[in-house]
Amino acid sequence: MLLVLTEEHREHLSMLPQVEPSVVGEFGRIALEFLRRGTSPKIYEGAARKLGVSVEAVQQGVEGLMFLLMESSKHTISEVDFMDSVLILGFGEELNQVLLQLYQDNQVQIRRILSQLIPSQPAFHQLEWRLDVQLASRSLRQRLVPTVTMRLMLSENEEGQRSTRVLQTDPSTLLHLISTLEAALAAVKTSHSRRILRNIK
Amino acid sequence: MELSESVQRGLQSLGDQTVLDRCSFPVVVDACFRSLLFSRGDPAVLDLPELKHLDKILLKQIHAAATTFILEAVKHNADKSTISFSLEELTFNTERVETFYTTRRKVSNSIFGPPFSFFFMSSSIGRGPAHIKDVSWRLQYQMKNGQLDKVNEPFYLISLSTETGGASEDVDFSCTAEQLQDLVGKLKDAAKSVEKASQV
Repeated sequence: MLLVLTEEHREHLSMLPQVEPSVVGEFGRIALEFLRRGTSPKIYEGAARKLGVSVEAVQQGVEGLMFLLMESSKHTISEVDFMDSVLILGFGEELNQVLLQLYQDNQVQIRRILSQLIPSQPAFHQLEWRLDVQLASRSLRQRLVPTVTMRLMLSENEEGQRSTRVLQTDPSTLLHLISTLEAALAAVKTSHSRRILRNIK
Repeated sequence: MELSESVQRGLQSLGDQTVLDRCSFPVVVDACFRSLLFSRGDPAVLDLPELKHLDKILLKQIHAAATTFILEAVKHNADKSTISFSLEELTFNTERVETFYTTRRKVSNSIFGPPFSFFFMSSSIGRGPAHIKDVSWRLQYQMKNGQLDKVNEPFYLISLSTETGGASEDVDFSCTAEQLQDLVGKLKDAAKSVEKASQV
């Protein structure tokens, strides 16, 4: 599939041929840094001073590049489609190669960054367990109750924020949990699931 | 079983034929057993037409003493002879001891059967971590989202139903097939340990 670049986007990218291809490579590095950590106007100012162009032009160039890389990574477009998509910008061959290199080198990383933006529920992180036997309590003496105590760690978001739940269960419920979850594991291996997984590409 | 003075006094009143006649005694004993299992602190448990003629305060003292006695007996897993001995010491005649015992059986029979119902009731007192009761799951396939096309990853949504002190709560989380495999593996390890420990 080809990328459809808007008029405004093309205009922002039009400053790229005005600088050296090596500078475009540097812009690409900055664009990736900004995708990871957020933008910083100071860097735009520094670069604009060095290149002798306006801050706005640098900002538009870098952000245009960010958007180009994000969109191509989002759709995981092929090398040919990427080249065809940037062809419309009318850049030279060398500059197009620099852009392609930027895209190919960073596609995996950009997809990982984008995947962090998706709203998600707490995800399983780790489980620790121990076997306890309750021997007595305030209301009952001479007890012998086996209990499995578990610490379930969930990651609340992509920044690694964790929450911990302490849960308990008895041996027979534990066996029930195991058999229910084994059925869940088996479900992904059924011919129905495999057919769907194979056909949605 | 060690009983405090006020409990002893209350039980003596319960056994005293001049305080409770032949008709009121079984009604009071029945109300005491029932109040522990079913009423959940309902203040109307002693408001019975058969007990209208009795002194309210005395009745409350008897109720408090009898329920304490029942809970103490459950706590120490007291057998029939221990219970009979304690009651006889507190001036219960043989007939009243027998009535006390048959009422206990009659009331607890109505749910789980003796003596488990009182045992369950006592074991539910106190605190502990949330107890997992059940688990449900859903297998999903993420195709795309607002940020990414072609994600194409199967994942599970797991919901653990838990209970703490009568209140239930669900613990929900998502996991990949590998993570679920890891989770099941750990639970199996735990189950194996339980099995080994039970053979010792």
